[in-house]
Amino acid sequence: MSHSAAPIEMGQGPGAARHLRQAATFVAPLVVLFLCWPLLVSAFGVDARVFPGVKAVFAAAVESVSDGSLLAHVAASLGRVAAGTLLAVVVAVPLGVAMGVNAGVSAFLTPLFRFFSVLAGIAWIPIATLWFGYGFGAITFVIFNAVFFIVAYNTLLGVTAIPMRLRHAAASLGASRLAMVTEVLLPGALPNIVTGIRTGLGFAWRGLIAAEMIATNVGLGYMLFVARDFYRTEVIVLGMIVIGILWLLIDRLILAPLERATIERWGVVQRA
Amino acid sequence: MKSLTLRNLHKTYFDPAVGTRVTAIQDVSLEIGPGEFVAVVGPAGCGKSTILNMVAGFLPATRGDIIVGDRPVKGPGRDRGVVFQNFALLPWKTVIDNVGFGLKMRGIAKPERDRIAMEFLELAGLSHAAERYPNELSGGMQQRAGVVRALANEPDVLLMDEPFASVDAQTRMTLQEELMRIWGERRHTVLFITHDVGEAVFLADRVVVLSKGHVLREIPITIPRPRG
Repeated sequence: MSHSAAPIEMGQGPGAARHLRQAATFVAPLVVLFLCWPLLVSAFGVDARVFPGVKAVFAAAVESVSDGSLLAHVAASLGRVAAGTLLAVVVAVPLGVAMGVNAGVSAFLTPLFRFFSVLAGIAWIPIATLWFGYGFGAITFVIFNAVFFIVAYNTLLGVTAIPMRLRHAAASLGASRLAMVTEVLLPGALPNIVTGIRTGLGFAWRGLIAAEMIATNVGLGYMLFVARDFYRTEVIVLGMIVIGILWLLIDRLILAPLERATIERWGVVQRA
Repeated sequence: MKSLTLRNLHKTYFDPAVGTRVTAIQDVSLEIGPGEFVAVVGPAGCGKSTILNMVAGFLPATRGDIIVGDRPVKGPGRDRGVVFQNFALLPWKTVIDNVGFGLKMRGIAKPERDRIAMEFLELAGLSHAAERYPNELSGGMQQRAGVVRALANEPDVLLMDEPFASVDAQTRMTLQEELMRIWGERRHTVLFITHDVGEAVFLADRVVVLSKGHVLREIPITIPRPRG
């Protein structure tokens, strides 16, 4: 079929095929796991209170979709992640740029940011509930912290990694301070910023589920935790599947391509 | 075109490796007339790039004056266009956006600056590469873009910091000839830094020999152009 294809299609063909193959390689083990699950459950006669069968989980999915509860949990969780992440990026990027242009400030703050980057996430839950009470505030705060420190630190790294000659070139062409930020520092740091957002969101997603188990009455984490009280293992497993799939979708379909695109365009010269 | 004057220029800095202050530039005075092409040559570490960095405003002078026309230099500015050894094109901008960058900084609207940038790209034989990104270009093409980026901003003085040192010998000769053609048409005031005596003699009206931070000799080159 390829011998009659136009040159441009010949160029795309192998690429598309490779993407498909990569996706298949990624999905195949999950499919195997899914197929083994009912066999194992029936072969060992596992009690539904220990681990649910496929049918029970499917029924739970149908029920929670039709009564709207799953959508409400997903919406609550995604909304918190979006709010916390957005807020964190909006604060962290300008701060990271401001720190990056001042060698003294960046040298002083780098260890602090590294410390809080490692700490970020679940460790903030207790103090967040003390400060904000239970609910949106505490959980958004946890997500904010998970994203904020990593993105600020990565922005700082990105700005300091921009070769001085690029800043000199822009300055000698008449760039103002503002233009230096928008035309050189931000685009130069963009690959690092995107990497920071991806890493931070990974922590934020885990932190979110943990925080929702403790500090709220709606959301995927809450859904799991409350199901435990009623031995509804099928709801727990459904929630776990949804949490995993949602993250894979966010990461594979949004964050990873974004990161690849910025690094390919921006990073080649800078990292070489 | 304006003149460039360096008067009793000094640069000392603290060298942590030696533990004392080191003199990089010692009492350098130089007068470059409007439209004159002056090359500064010297071995590595003689301070020639330090001079250019001070003239460009990237590095403060310890003592002395740098004057363009009648205005003293305070920091980088668009009156002095700089061509860098490693091109220093912005990797996230296309070639035409790099060349139009100075025009954008002056608030010139996109269609007009694209038109001007395209003229300069044609001057450098680069119009076919206008929409490409720097990392897709050879070193020689990148430096052609680097040269016209500086020219498109209409500087009073052109500062060139070993601009052809990181391209191969064949490309270097071509670039030198192209620079002569463009300079012949436009007669910029040029301060050209190089370690290559042959290059200095081929290009310049006057060659300044620098050694250990001070001017050893100034040699007018009277060979008629075109040379080679």
